Amino acid sequence: MNLASVFVTVIRRDWAMLKRYIVNTVSTLVSIYLIFLLIFLGLKSLSGYAATGALEGSMEGTVIGFFVWTFTIMGFSELAWGLISEAQTGTLEQLYLTPCGFKWVCGCTMISSLVLQSIPVFILLFIMMATTGQWLNLDFISLIPLLLITVLGAYGFGFALGGLALIFKRIQAIFQIFQFVFVGFLVIPQRVPWAKFLPLSLGNSLIYDVMVDGLRLWELPIGSILTALAVGVFYLVIGVIIFSYCENIARDRGLLGHY
Amino acid sequence: MSKTATALDVTSLTKVFHERGTKDVKAVDNVSFQVRQGEVLGLLGPNGAGKTTTIKCILGLIRPNAGGILVFGENVEEHYPRMLKNMSAVLEGSRNLYWRLTVWENILFFSGLHGVTSRDDKAHFEHLIRLFSLEDKRNVEVRKLSQGMKQKTSVACALARRTPLVFLDEPTLGLDVETSLELRAVLKQLATEENRTIIVSSHNMDVIQDVCQRVIILSQGRVVADNYVSDLVNLFKTKAYRITLHEPVSEGLEESLTSRFKGATLTSDGTIAEINVNLLENDDIYVLMDILRDAGAIIDRISHEETDLEKAFLEIVRRERNNNESR
Repeated sequence: MNLASVFVTVIRRDWAMLKRYIVNTVSTLVSIYLIFLLIFLGLKSLSGYAATGALEGSMEGTVIGFFVWTFTIMGFSELAWGLISEAQTGTLEQLYLTPCGFKWVCGCTMISSLVLQSIPVFILLFIMMATTGQWLNLDFISLIPLLLITVLGAYGFGFALGGLALIFKRIQAIFQIFQFVFVGFLVIPQRVPWAKFLPLSLGNSLIYDVMVDGLRLWELPIGSILTALAVGVFYLVIGVIIFSYCENIARDRGLLGHY
Repeated sequence: MSKTATALDVTSLTKVFHERGTKDVKAVDNVSFQVRQGEVLGLLGPNGAGKTTTIKCILGLIRPNAGGILVFGENVEEHYPRMLKNMSAVLEGSRNLYWRLTVWENILFFSGLHGVTSRDDKAHFEHLIRLFSLEDKRNVEVRKLSQGMKQKTSVACALARRTPLVFLDEPTLGLDVETSLELRAVLKQLATEENRTIIVSSHNMDVIQDVCQRVIILSQGRVVADNYVSDLVNLFKTKAYRITLHEPVSEGLEESLTSRFKGATLTSDGTIAEINVNLLENDDIYVLMDILRDAGAIIDRISHEETDLEKAFLEIVRRERNNNESR
C-alpha cells in the first residue's frame, strides 16, 4: 500500500472540505484573533508598567505564543474532533477498512491538516504582527523544522484523545481542557528546570529565539534542538501507544460503529 | 484463481459481548461457513441474529473471541490490515459517505484509500456511475441526494475499490420499491460480469431471493440453515389453499377439517366463509374436496399460495425457537 497515495487522497478530501466549510474556518480564525485582540488591548492598557520595562518582551511572546498555539490546535484538533465527527457521520468504520492501517490514515489526516491550515495561520500571524506593530523575523528555513518538532508532542495528545474518542465518543470537554493545558505549556518559563520536558515548551522557546532574536537554526544550541525533538517524539509515541490500546478495546467491544 | 476457489472460510466464529453489570451476550455462536469465489451469498436473520456482528468480525472491525477467518486462504487477523485490500463493505448505507463531498469525490476518496487511482480505475468509476444512473448527480454533494441515491452512491463507493470480496449490509434499507429493484438488478449484473464474491445481509427476503444463489440463516447467533435458495424453498414447500364458500356452511365442517388437516381454519363474516389450509406432502386435495362436498358447501373461489423464501425463513426461525425453548 502506497502511503503517498493515501496522503494525496486525504489532502484532496480535506481541501474539498475546507472549501465547503470555509465559513467555519474563517470564523475560527476570527474568534482566535478576537481573543488575541483582547489580550493585546489588556497588555496595552498596562502602559504604565510597560514604561518601566516590566512588560518588555511580553508582546512578542504573546504573538509567538498565540501563533504556535493556533498552529498546534489546528492540527491536534483535526484528529480528536475528526474521529468524533467521523463516528457521528458513519465514515469511521470505512476509514478503518483501509489496507494501510487506520493509524496511518489518522497520521495522514493530521499532516494534511497541518499543511492546509498553515496558510490561514500564517495570515493570522501577519494580522497579529500588524495589530501589535511587532514585526518578527520570519526565517522559514529555521522556523518550519522547529514548528514541526514543537507540534509533535501535541500530536501525541491528539492521538491519545483520538483513541479515547474511539471508546467514549463524546469527549469534547476533555478536548477543550487540553486547549488550555497547551497554553500552560507555552507560558511556563524555561528557567523552571523541568519545563523543557513538557510538550511545546522548549520548542516554543526556540521559535522565540528565531523570531525575536533573529537566530538561524544552526545558531541554536544543538542540545536544545535534540531535546525538543526527543520530547516531541516521546509524547508522540506515548500518544500512539494509547491510541493503539484504545483501538483494541474498541474492536473488542465492537465500538467502532457506535456514535 | 479458479472460479471455484474459496473466497471466504469462516470456522467456529464466536463473539461474546461483556457489559459490566449485565449478562454476557453471545452475539455469534460457533458460526462456520465457506463462500466460493463469484458466489452471491445471502445472510438472513431476525434482528439481533448476529448478521452484522459476523460481517464486522470478518472485516476486522470487531475482534472475535474464538474462531478463524480465511480470506482467499490467508488468515485475516494475522495479516490485518493488509488483508483489507481484498474486502470492501457498505455497513450503514448512506452513513458511509461524506455528505459534504460530491458523488465523484466520495468515490475518488474511498477508492484512493485502497490505492485504486489509475486511469483504468477511473474509467471503471464512470462505468459504475452509469450503472447506478448517477450521471446527473456526479458533481452534486451527497447531502442533496435522495435516500435511494445516497444508498446507490454507498454501494458504488464499495464497488469502486475493486475488491474481490464485497459485503453489503442491508443495502436496500429505506429504499422505495423501484430503487430497490434497480439496485438488485445492478448487483446481479455485477456479480455475473465481474465475478465478485458478494455477501448480502438483509431483512428483505425478496432481495435475498432475487440476488443470492445461496442463503445462510442465522438465529440467536447460530447458523440454522445453509442452503441454496431454491432448495430451501422446496424444503418448505407446502400446498397452501384459501377456499371461499357461500354461507351458510354446515356446523360440523370446521371439526371435520381440523381433525383431518392440522392447523386448518374456518372463518366467517356471515355472508361468506373462508377456509385456510396447508396440505402436507402426503395430503391430498381430493380428500379436502370430499369433506367439503359431504358438508354440502358451495365453493365460490379457490386460491393457491406459493411458498417463497419468506415462508421458509419464518418456518426455520420458528422451529429453531421452539427447539431452544424445549431444551
